[in-house]
Amino acid sequence: MGVYIPVGPQHPIHPEAILLKLKVEGEQVVDADVDSSFVHRGIEKALEHKTWLQGLYLVERVCGICNVAHSTCYTLNVENLLGVEAPTRAQYLRLVVEELARIHSHMLWLGLLAHLIGFQSLFMLVFRDREKVLDLMEELTGNRITTAYNVVGGVRRDIDPALEHRVRSTLEELRGRVKRYRKLIEEDPSVRARTVNVGILERSEAEELHAVGPVARASGIKYDVRADDPYLVHDEVPFNVVTLETCDAWGRAMVRVEEVLESIDMIMYSLDHIPSGPIRKRVPPVFKVPPGEGIARVEAPRGELFHYAKSDGSERPYRYRMRTPTLANLAALVYMLRRGDRAVYVADVPVIFGSIDPCICCTARVFVLDERGSRVLNLEDLGRSRGR
Amino acid sequence: MSCLALLFEWLDRKFVAKLQNRVGPKYTGPFGMLQPLADLVKLLSKEDIIPEGTKTFLFNICPVAAVLLLFIANSFVPTVHVEGVLKAEGDLIIILVIITLYLLTIYMAGSAAPSRYSLMGAARAAVMLLGFELPLMFSSLSVGFAAGGFELSKIVAKQFERPFIAGPHLIGFAIFLIAAQAELEKIPFDIPEAETEIVSGWLVELSSWRLAFFRFSKDLELVLLSGLATALYLGGPIGPVIPGLEVLLYPLYFLAKSISVLFLLSLLSTLFARIRLDQFIRLCWRYLIPLTLAYFLAMMWVV
Repeated sequence: MGVYIPVGPQHPIHPEAILLKLKVEGEQVVDADVDSSFVHRGIEKALEHKTWLQGLYLVERVCGICNVAHSTCYTLNVENLLGVEAPTRAQYLRLVVEELARIHSHMLWLGLLAHLIGFQSLFMLVFRDREKVLDLMEELTGNRITTAYNVVGGVRRDIDPALEHRVRSTLEELRGRVKRYRKLIEEDPSVRARTVNVGILERSEAEELHAVGPVARASGIKYDVRADDPYLVHDEVPFNVVTLETCDAWGRAMVRVEEVLESIDMIMYSLDHIPSGPIRKRVPPVFKVPPGEGIARVEAPRGELFHYAKSDGSERPYRYRMRTPTLANLAALVYMLRRGDRAVYVADVPVIFGSIDPCICCTARVFVLDERGSRVLNLEDLGRSRGR
Repeated sequence: MSCLALLFEWLDRKFVAKLQNRVGPKYTGPFGMLQPLADLVKLLSKEDIIPEGTKTFLFNICPVAAVLLLFIANSFVPTVHVEGVLKAEGDLIIILVIITLYLLTIYMAGSAAPSRYSLMGAARAAVMLLGFELPLMFSSLSVGFAAGGFELSKIVAKQFERPFIAGPHLIGFAIFLIAAQAELEKIPFDIPEAETEIVSGWLVELSSWRLAFFRFSKDLELVLLSGLATALYLGGPIGPVIPGLEVLLYPLYFLAKSISVLFLLSLLSTLFARIRLDQFIRLCWRYLIPLTLAYFLAMMWVV
């Protein structure tokens, strides 16, 4: 028994194309599968045809919301390979923008959660406050969303005292608002009714499924790239890794809201301690990178972002590979949807789905299956079949 | 009545928008008052789509039936005078029956379409009926018992002598409001429409005039329920009058009272998140229905 209900690829649950295949009995989900291969854009392949500098602008467009994380990761990776280090002031500025992007992403997520559980008022209010962050972003970098702030060797714009003052006052205002939202999530009975004990992911399960970011931290795993493998100046700027043991969607919401408050503190601290100096080391527009491999890890708003680069000494990458946090969390999502020991209602699906903060456009992957031999074809196989 | 329905939708939208720090309808007509009408006309002009495998007869008859039923029910509600446009022995019961029948049209329209989303929405609507039907009926019937008759005119007239809102009827009013919220499928009880779960539920396959009719019937229901609450608990259109000016003042009183009820309903819808179906049923059977029955028995005892 049971009916298949397709959630997606076009569904109000998410603006992006993803398909959740749910098997439903009455109001309960008994089986689930996920298909995220609708929007594959071939960016990794495209990167091999761009110069290292052009690649930066392409990488920024992997994901709209975490574009800062991607460009930070990319520039770190390339700088590492080149043996260039950005000036300290630039690193502080990168951190400020990175944390600002985190605030913006988490608030967007909070609004979406409110929308998913049908709390329209909260959605409207959170999005109103998120506008302030976007305005700050525009003043700091010149763009609201796709910032194009990081360049290889530093950042594009400096911050002046007037702007610094505006950043401070806006963030102070925001801090009060976010505290109110935190109180609301903690206490509002209807929000609690929809999120507490929904989408349970125990600590051991989260470890086994390699969950990352707020999903892992809400299951009690104290893992944050900023703390465990500090990049930029994260070893100088103090902050707490927020963890909770609730293992549910409510915990994920609380972790994200707490992280917004942490990020506000971090930005304040950075503005206090930012050293003066240059913001950029000049690197020629077309440069060759010495042969070798490199990785970079960044804590994107959604979790650990991993970039791998291989250079053959030319002005273009030989191979560039990314692992985005949503890709890492998809396994946990499917597990949460189809776990047999707890009833999952159809009404819980948006909450569970939303609780991993999915970003599909950076997640879509393609692999080609040879049905006769039932194995996954690799790049060489594909090249061979094309040549045939 | 139609104007009233559109006006109420506009008020609802505008008020909710204010509460959510938005502006709401603005451009069509003065203060955007004509926006609901414009929406309706636009929907009527849309392409008419009947999905393959639909039970066409039900699909066509339900929207018409919904609007007609609510027009009839609305005619019983006293608006400009102690009596409504129509009057019958026990018209309160007729209205309650019509409200149930209206839900039946929703259920049938939802299950006539082949989509799984609309089927789930229809099933949810039917299950919800189990939860809020009793509170809605008993809270209104209690008033009838207290007034010694089930005619709205009689109930309203009775309130000349003794205003009902005082004392235990406040509980009845609260129960009625909650049940009305569920009946109207407004947040937190918009479970059958749940956009992010089942894509508008039973509405999903409706298009063009069918959607327009159902949307309009929702507005009519808004008028009906706030009018009914006004008649039952707030004394209908009566109030202090200067002799000779009743014709002018009664409609104004009615408007003022029913609009305050509407604002209460809108306020409720901005305060909460949507709850789950099982949570709704639990809420109803654990708290709402026992409370309703206690209130009902108390009323019987007092009478």
